[in-house]
Amino acid sequence: MTRRRIALLLTALVAASGVLPLLLLAMFGLQILRQRGERASQEALHAIATQAAARIGTYIAQQREMLRTIGTAVADEADAARRLADVSLDAPSLGKLRLVSAETPARELPRMLSAAQIASALRANEVASETYIAELSPAMDVCVPSGKPGRAVCATLDLLELQRQVQRIRVGEQGYALAFDRTGRLVAAGSGAMRAAVLSGEPVAESPLASGLVKGTPAPTRLRSGDGRDVLAGWASLADLGWSIAVEQPAEEALRGARTALKFLASGAVLTLLISIAIGSAFARRMLTALELEERFRTAGRIAAGITHDLGHRLTILQQIEQLAAMNDADYLPRIRESLAAEVGTLRRFVADFSDLTREAKPADFLPIELNAFAESVRLGAKGYAKEAKVAIEVERAPSDLWVRGDRYLLERAALNLTRNAIEASKPGSAVRLRIERSNGAAVLAVEDRGPGIAPDRIATLFESFSSTKRTGAHLGMGLPNVRRIAVAHGGTVSVKSKPGQGSTFSLSLPVNGDQSSSPLTPATMP
Amino acid sequence: MRFLLLIALFGCTAPPPLREPVVLRIALWGPLGELAPTASESVVASIAQPWVYEKLLTVDASGNLKPVLAAHVERISNQQMRIELRRDAAFSDGAPVTESDVVRSLESAGLSVVPGERALMIESRRPGLPIDALLLEAHIFRESQGKTVGSGPFAVTSQSESELRLNRRAPRPGRVNEVRLIAYKTPRDAFAHTLKGDANLIFDIEPRSLEFFRDVPSLQVFHGAGRSTDAIIFNPALSRADRRQLAEALSSPQLRELAYGAGECAEPGAAPRNDVSLTSGPVLRILSWGTFERLALAARRILARRGGEIVHVTPQEALSRIASGAFDVVMGRPLRWPPSSMALVWRTGGPYNIFGYSNPTFDDAVDRADWAAAEAALADDPPAAFLCTHDQLAVVDARIMNPKLGPYDTLETLPEWEVAR
Repeated sequence: MTRRRIALLLTALVAASGVLPLLLLAMFGLQILRQRGERASQEALHAIATQAAARIGTYIAQQREMLRTIGTAVADEADAARRLADVSLDAPSLGKLRLVSAETPARELPRMLSAAQIASALRANEVASETYIAELSPAMDVCVPSGKPGRAVCATLDLLELQRQVQRIRVGEQGYALAFDRTGRLVAAGSGAMRAAVLSGEPVAESPLASGLVKGTPAPTRLRSGDGRDVLAGWASLADLGWSIAVEQPAEEALRGARTALKFLASGAVLTLLISIAIGSAFARRMLTALELEERFRTAGRIAAGITHDLGHRLTILQQIEQLAAMNDADYLPRIRESLAAEVGTLRRFVADFSDLTREAKPADFLPIELNAFAESVRLGAKGYAKEAKVAIEVERAPSDLWVRGDRYLLERAALNLTRNAIEASKPGSAVRLRIERSNGAAVLAVEDRGPGIAPDRIATLFESFSSTKRTGAHLGMGLPNVRRIAVAHGGTVSVKSKPGQGSTFSLSLPVNGDQSSSPLTPATMP
Repeated sequence: MRFLLLIALFGCTAPPPLREPVVLRIALWGPLGELAPTASESVVASIAQPWVYEKLLTVDASGNLKPVLAAHVERISNQQMRIELRRDAAFSDGAPVTESDVVRSLESAGLSVVPGERALMIESRRPGLPIDALLLEAHIFRESQGKTVGSGPFAVTSQSESELRLNRRAPRPGRVNEVRLIAYKTPRDAFAHTLKGDANLIFDIEPRSLEFFRDVPSLQVFHGAGRSTDAIIFNPALSRADRRQLAEALSSPQLRELAYGAGECAEPGAAPRNDVSLTSGPVLRILSWGTFERLALAARRILARRGGEIVHVTPQEALSRIASGAFDVVMGRPLRWPPSSMALVWRTGGPYNIFGYSNPTFDDAVDRADWAAAEAALADDPPAAFLCTHDQLAVVDARIMNPKLGPYDTLETLPEWEVAR
């Protein structure tokens, strides 16, 4: 994982742990705000509807009161018919006024009043029809007592003013009012799109709700309106008139405030998250760079200390050989030669260890490797060393071929390192076992010895550089760290299980690469 | 990335989505009738006359004559005109507009035509009527396969009892290319269907009905100057002096206010006059019909003691009573514009002079085409009290950019209306 990715991950974790709870809290708060906003809007719409209903009720009451007053004042006069007709000039809303008696021809009677209502009116009762649409505006036929028995003053109230009142009600930019009669017929509409229903008498989506409201069934405060929009609604009814008033506002507009706040907060949170990730990432990268630099210095120090210690030891030996050679004693010559050969071999291994450290694993160069054959190859490679130590090497094969992909040279260096460590840890006459198996989906090469085992407190630092338990001068202490480096570079791991006095098992796990039996690069053909 | 770039490139270069062409569906009420060049204004379908049948000339907003099928117009007298025909005009069946077509058309409109070498000499058959007033009513047509065809931009493509379809002969981009006249039973049906979107043009709307169309996003209201004036027309049998004082009393702002409310008439509001009082005289019988009931009531109030019984009758009954002289005052809406049209209504023997009014001074002024003098003659010997000229009101699809009414025929400019793209 690169330093950049580590930095980003760290920062994202920190930022998310800080910002996300806040964001969730804000979302929760906004949901409450939204619900309250909806309730507040509905209450406001209800208040407007109630106010409109009261105004309409007052208007109708005033018209009827005016009609009563005129009827009482004029009906007894000799020229009552003419004076009543003239009234409409000064009070156009009263429409055409006329005197009605039992002799009035049927065509001149108010058309929406039944015969029974007319008869009642002639008995000095006030009667009124339901509202209806006369030509292009709502109307109502009303008869009031004239003060003389057998005569009534009748008028067709022109309720255009009510229609205007309803059409003038505006809530926000798109809110409007609707007025329905007792049957649910739309009699006035503030919404232009629904006004056709006023004239055609066709029911709209709210019609059944309106007629239900007059009968006492509560109407919903959120619904799909006659023009197909999701609306919030406030309702009020006029019991006397049988009208219902609905004031509607598209939910989208009514809740725009809460929605805007939500969007604003969400954008703010995302922005804050991004800014904190950007800043955190920059800081984390800087810190990681500093840490890496410090680690490099520490590693360089450890390497220098190790090299100084090991080469110092070698120098001491070479110095002793030099002193022995300075004696010019031919008897010491064979010993001098032996010692020099041994020191050259040791120094070569130093160089080989460093060489291993500098070789990088490149996935592009990886080749298929069959692990059972690979173990055999490792056994052969370590055979000479094992013979010197009088230790046997056994290979326990997996039941079937087990393929991995990798850099054969590096994997061999890793496996040989583990094997040589196991041989060194083993007593003469004992055996080291190379076991191949498939475990948890991975291909495993386990190297087991019956040596003294590793103390538990050492295991934690076993794979760190220069932490070898065998710093005798022949080892740099870079073996196991290098094994781990190679395993990780192949997408695998290396682990150890050890019991003091019973031996250790080092397991090199690598990703399985499927069945490669058909691959041309079988072990037999590999170098 | 390349894919995204391609999408962006297509997005930038793709043509805008095609919009449906605007079809004007005009809501009318009453029987549609037959569209014919000689049909009167009372035939509902006659609204389409100006788009199908052209005239020799028309009139602009200032009242000046404007040639249409004529290439050159020369007024010889108030009753004679020499006209040269445009040579490029053709009827919708492809035949060119010839002098013989013009002669036949004008003769059927009550004009006599004498073909000359290069021009036509046109004369009114009814002495005293201005030739231009008659020409403004005369459409040029020819018979083709049992039908009449015109040279206008539109031609009838189909007609049923309730719908007349017209298509532009040569479609023009950005203009209305199809018009449908749809006849509904009642004004209420016409209004409802317009609000519903089944129709997208309605005209002849009362101001109070405009409420219905406010805040309807798909529609717009437009208006034009009216050509007729509401008037209280006197029986010519009343003395001149009586008619003068009646005209003065009835032309009061108070009456306008009572009858129409404030601000509904084009006439400038004058300060109320208190010095106008009617001398005693006979009680006047008031004849009313149609939508004039309120005007009749207002007139009766202004007439005070002289205001008699109001008889509200059907239009047919009103015509019958006017013809028999059974009225003292009657409500009406006579033509007032262009000035020459006054002759049709008030000249002795004029085609619309059903009241029997006769004023030699007015006739003389008309013969001289001196419209100012004609107005003065009417004021001196008033046939009526002229009260209120309403604007014509209409509602049309909001995509029409420059809708206009008039100046002569209500929807005559429709072929030039531009459609928003």
